[in-house]
Amino acid sequence: MIDRVGIFAGTALAAFLALTAVGRADTISYADAVTTLAKECGADIKKFCNGENLGNGRIQACLEKNASKVSPTCTSTLGSVMTSVAQRQQAQASVFKVCQHDISQYCNSVKGDGNILSCLVETTRVDNKACNQAITDAGWR
Amino acid sequence: MIIHGLRISLALGLLLAPCIASAQQLDNTQIMTTLGQVKAAAPAVDVALLVEEANANVGKGVAALPNWSKLSELSQLIVEIDFENNSTAIAPKSYRTVGLIADALHHPNLFRYKFLIVGHSSATGTAKHNLELSQKRADAINEALSTTFAVSPDRLFSVGAGEEWPIDPGHPESADNRRVQLINLGLLK
Repeated sequence: MIDRVGIFAGTALAAFLALTAVGRADTISYADAVTTLAKECGADIKKFCNGENLGNGRIQACLEKNASKVSPTCTSTLGSVMTSVAQRQQAQASVFKVCQHDISQYCNSVKGDGNILSCLVETTRVDNKACNQAITDAGWR
Repeated sequence: MIIHGLRISLALGLLLAPCIASAQQLDNTQIMTTLGQVKAAAPAVDVALLVEEANANVGKGVAALPNWSKLSELSQLIVEIDFENNSTAIAPKSYRTVGLIADALHHPNLFRYKFLIVGHSSATGTAKHNLELSQKRADAINEALSTTFAVSPDRLFSVGAGEEWPIDPGHPESADNRRVQLINLGLLK
């Protein structure tokens, strides 16, 4: 399995922990997260971050640097988008660990992460809440 | 969530005559199904050789070159990603497409594979500039996927084809030739 390192480790992880403490919100896909970002921050990105790229947190850093000029909707969207991305990353990195018991119980003879996931989705819906939640948060059902 | 102008080519060994479905809605299932079709006998591709060949043949096309021709045999998807004019910055309207690709690459069905991002351009401007810009744009997508979207960097490779491999050779200056190809390079070793 591939080890994923959270990119927004600092603030986003803190936000993630704060969010889990007050109760879970469903995670959204990377696609939905950046679609929201483009919709709410697109004008500000064009205005203040012209030529900056999505990679290496540059758009995020640019919007934060220009926080006083960026629209409040964009600032709040940026925060929630980053939180969601971090939460989904966390879930994706944890599924196979959280579901370990179920994998050995129900999918012992199944080979390959994709097939194991299909097996889990088929069999764990009713009994293991944590595993179920992790699969949902990972966006894999 | 319809994406306008997004073109999906379900090309498996059919790159020279790709079937383009115009204005289709791209979703994760499509990306995964398309990119997950890996043939047992798929050729190994050396990305450094692709770069060398492209640089040594500026203005002469790449499709017939030894390493580039192997790409046609691999599972692939063509998407449109818009960039700011003469820049490597991905336009906000194309963020979703990059996010969709990231979602697909994070799925356990595609975990084990490595991917090549190929940047293409239309024939506006000089061939050399187009080659360089398309390489930088492919690199920018690579960087966005591997940092903002946390796809493991050892699974991602990028190369520019410039204007050397037009999807519409009859109209080299057509905007249709500005596209990005995502190619499954096979199992991560």
